[in-house]
Amino acid sequence: MDYIRHKVPPVREDRLAACGAYGGTCCELSEDAKKGCLYTAKRSFSQTQGCQLNLSLAMISTLRDAVMVIHSPIGCGGNLIQNAGIGKVFQQLRQKSAAGLRWINTNLSEFDVISGGEAKLRQAVLKAEREFQPEAILVFNSCVPALIGDDVDGILDQLQSQVNARIVPIHCEGFKTKIQATAYDSVYHGLIRNLVGLDADKKPQPERTAEEEAAYRERIAKTINLLNVGSMSRLDEEELVRLLRALGLHVRILPSYAHPDDFSHAHEAALNVSICATHDDYFAEHLERLYGIPYVLRTIPIGIANTNKWLRDIAAFFGIEEEAERLIAAETAELNEALAPFRAQFKGKTAFIAGGEVRILTTGELLHDLGMEILGLRGYHFDKYGALLLDEYLEDVPGSEDRVFNVGAGQVFEQANLLSKIKPDLFVGHIGVNGTAAKQGYPIFPLFGQSNVYFGYKGAYEVGSRVSRILRNHSFNRNLERHTRLPYRDSWYEQDPFTYIDNPGATAVRSN
Amino acid sequence: MSTYTGSSGGQVFTGRVIERPRYVCALGGAIGTIQSLPRAISILHSSSGCGGNLAGALSGASGYNGGNYCGGHALPSSNVSERDIVFGGEGRLSEQIENTLKVMDGDLYIVVTGCMVEMIGDDVHAVAKRFKGGELPVVAAETVSFKGNSYYGYDIVLETLFKDYVERAPVQDPSTVNLWGIVPMQDVFWKGNLEALKKLLDKLGFRVNTFFGQGETLDNLKHSARSSLNIVVSDCYGIAPARQFEKIHGVPFITVPLPIGDHGTARFLRQVGGALGVASEVIEALIAEEQAVYYSYLERLADVYNDLDFQRYATVVGDANYAQALTRFLADDIGWLPELVIITDVLNGEQEAKVIASFGDYESGLQPEIVYETDASAIEGHINRHWPAPGEGKYGNGFTPGYIVGSAMDRDTAERLKVPLLPVTYPISNRVVLHRAYAGYAGGLTLAEDLLSLVVAHR
Repeated sequence: MDYIRHKVPPVREDRLAACGAYGGTCCELSEDAKKGCLYTAKRSFSQTQGCQLNLSLAMISTLRDAVMVIHSPIGCGGNLIQNAGIGKVFQQLRQKSAAGLRWINTNLSEFDVISGGEAKLRQAVLKAEREFQPEAILVFNSCVPALIGDDVDGILDQLQSQVNARIVPIHCEGFKTKIQATAYDSVYHGLIRNLVGLDADKKPQPERTAEEEAAYRERIAKTINLLNVGSMSRLDEEELVRLLRALGLHVRILPSYAHPDDFSHAHEAALNVSICATHDDYFAEHLERLYGIPYVLRTIPIGIANTNKWLRDIAAFFGIEEEAERLIAAETAELNEALAPFRAQFKGKTAFIAGGEVRILTTGELLHDLGMEILGLRGYHFDKYGALLLDEYLEDVPGSEDRVFNVGAGQVFEQANLLSKIKPDLFVGHIGVNGTAAKQGYPIFPLFGQSNVYFGYKGAYEVGSRVSRILRNHSFNRNLERHTRLPYRDSWYEQDPFTYIDNPGATAVRSN
Repeated sequence: MSTYTGSSGGQVFTGRVIERPRYVCALGGAIGTIQSLPRAISILHSSSGCGGNLAGALSGASGYNGGNYCGGHALPSSNVSERDIVFGGEGRLSEQIENTLKVMDGDLYIVVTGCMVEMIGDDVHAVAKRFKGGELPVVAAETVSFKGNSYYGYDIVLETLFKDYVERAPVQDPSTVNLWGIVPMQDVFWKGNLEALKKLLDKLGFRVNTFFGQGETLDNLKHSARSSLNIVVSDCYGIAPARQFEKIHGVPFITVPLPIGDHGTARFLRQVGGALGVASEVIEALIAEEQAVYYSYLERLADVYNDLDFQRYATVVGDANYAQALTRFLADDIGWLPELVIITDVLNGEQEAKVIASFGDYESGLQPEIVYETDASAIEGHINRHWPAPGEGKYGNGFTPGYIVGSAMDRDTAERLKVPLLPVTYPISNRVVLHRAYAGYAGGLTLAEDLLSLVVAHR
């Protein structure tokens, strides 16, 4: 893959044939995915979702010492308003002096739609430089300037000579894709083109003696880029760093909550380690192509089985398999003992999981390992990385073949219908889809959170511990179920949940 | 700098870039407005991300309002994409409306639009008309986001409802009035505030439709042309719809500032009561009754206010509705010195003049400096200019003892200046708001509790 020479990356429908609408069983999805034509699926009734602009912001508005410029009418990036306060708190977990989330909206008006928004883009970038003197200015392009034909790259090229900050254009126009995860490619595209490896341009390389140079090379040979995601916590990072350090590795954490300078050195690493292929394949593959850095991309370290797989993949690269096995044996022995009470409590309980393809499949494996039966899964989208993990899931979680798998970003009407039929003991959901499940009375465990540990061995314990706590009393949600209602007709619950999915590439829907 | 007057005639939408805006687009304002009506369902005709982009602004930034009955990820949306942009999105919208009526359980369906469908020229009114005469009402509002912000979206939805949903009434009922101008979500305490004002006017003997408040029904809205007066509790928001209401239904309107505490609320009752022809003895009797209760609570603070010297310099930061209400309360009710007022809205000349006028006539004699500023990072500079920080010498005062009544967006400023901040204006992400209200007499007591609790928080 090499798209970096292009100004704009391709969308995921084209690059990965990603699917955004599906209803069937795990087994059927596994088969249909291999035929590769699920990306044509659509809905004749749909609910709102997110776009790649707001996921781009969720991912990289976390960047420290940076200002976000959103080139759009005033509403785009609206979710930032609720994150302004907490963003600073999370940044300061990485750097005490961090300034927090700052952004400027170009506030395009009807006048600009007629006469072009370029002047305002210039104003906004110069204002960001003048007011904040940040290390980087990230410019997010939206639907309207794309349609009116603003020459965003041309203007930003000109502006770069006028400001000290490094300008990073991010082409994340919402209307171009229904697969929100295209955002990750759009952000990485901008970062690779404008931040990665650019250190030499700006600062002279330190002069090293032969000895120092050898030590430096040795350090790089043991350094990995740990690619984090906006939905993980500082505690998650600490847990993964703990495990990697135990294997003698140095860790640089990118891209969320990083500092722009961290990217300057991103090419000085032996290995890129992803915790989520949905998030990182574009970055990892391009860094391999551009800088010869190999990568590990298979799974996310959630639950014992997948944490073990993740560590083994990394250890195999460095030839430290024995050390890894010793670590895994010690960690799992201690953890299994600690998990015993949860396994007793969860035996015979059932769960339904909704969220990103990588997280739901591995969380499913974890809850199954803790004694639960997984009744169904809902993924935001589905692509070849999900397909690989789904096949591993079918092996790791026996009896899942006939369990339901629904693909849809949001689309909570389908979820409500499914839950009314499946009735799990526990619902596990992504932010945005939990409130609706709450009004159906289920105990809910959020699929991620920025204040808890979820990854690695400590994460497996904490997930067990929190689920155990949540299952003890879900009166709040039960009261909601009794006294509120969801905005669907009673007749909707009598229908097939996938009534409004039109998926010519799937056997599953046809046979329903 | 460009200036554009919105098609509603009320809102001016100037073209400044804004650092950390305190509102979203017209579509966001429209969704927030519709989801606050009982059993009303928005149908978004927009890109797939618009609703998701705005969900946080309408919930987490608004005291965790949630989606009400139908908001957040439940919002039906045509999710137009590149293909529709090329070929037009009307077919997709028609299909979406048809299926929304089958799946979503509502009593009123309102199509609202995002930027892209406006740019490709979809005629949403024509599509909505195909559903006219059906069992369920479907109306359409063009809430084009590059034409205005949240407040404009609120205005457009009200105009649409008054034009296409409210039924013509042959006679007016002199004891029924409508009241609006408090914008759901942009006023984080909207529901409590509407209820507080409704209760007050109830005491004067009027039935009040607030459309969005507790206990309201769509029937009240549908029959609102039977009312004898429209009371717009704002100098800026909801005025264009009031003009439209008058034109179509012949019901006159008055505008009146949002009242908080004794001084604001007494003025409110006199102005509204006067417009409704209530005898001044009746109005004064009610004010006296409310004052007796109000001051029976405030008198509890007689010792502590004076023992601990509770008086503060204050900066008020927020929208045009709250800025004047908070300033009058701080100055005239609790004797503070709110000398600097920062209005974060983008207003036109006519609105600015009305807003400035609402800051006059203080019993305390206060004459606050009023600044229009949309950028969050500029607030600190205004405070430092108004109260210059002490220099190197031994003597000097600065903004001490200071207090900011603003929003969550002003936290950095307050932390740097080391003064307390009570978030009252949008956005508020660091408080959970359910039925709390600041309007009226009772609201003034609540505000006094919240303000002064921060002063004693470390004790």
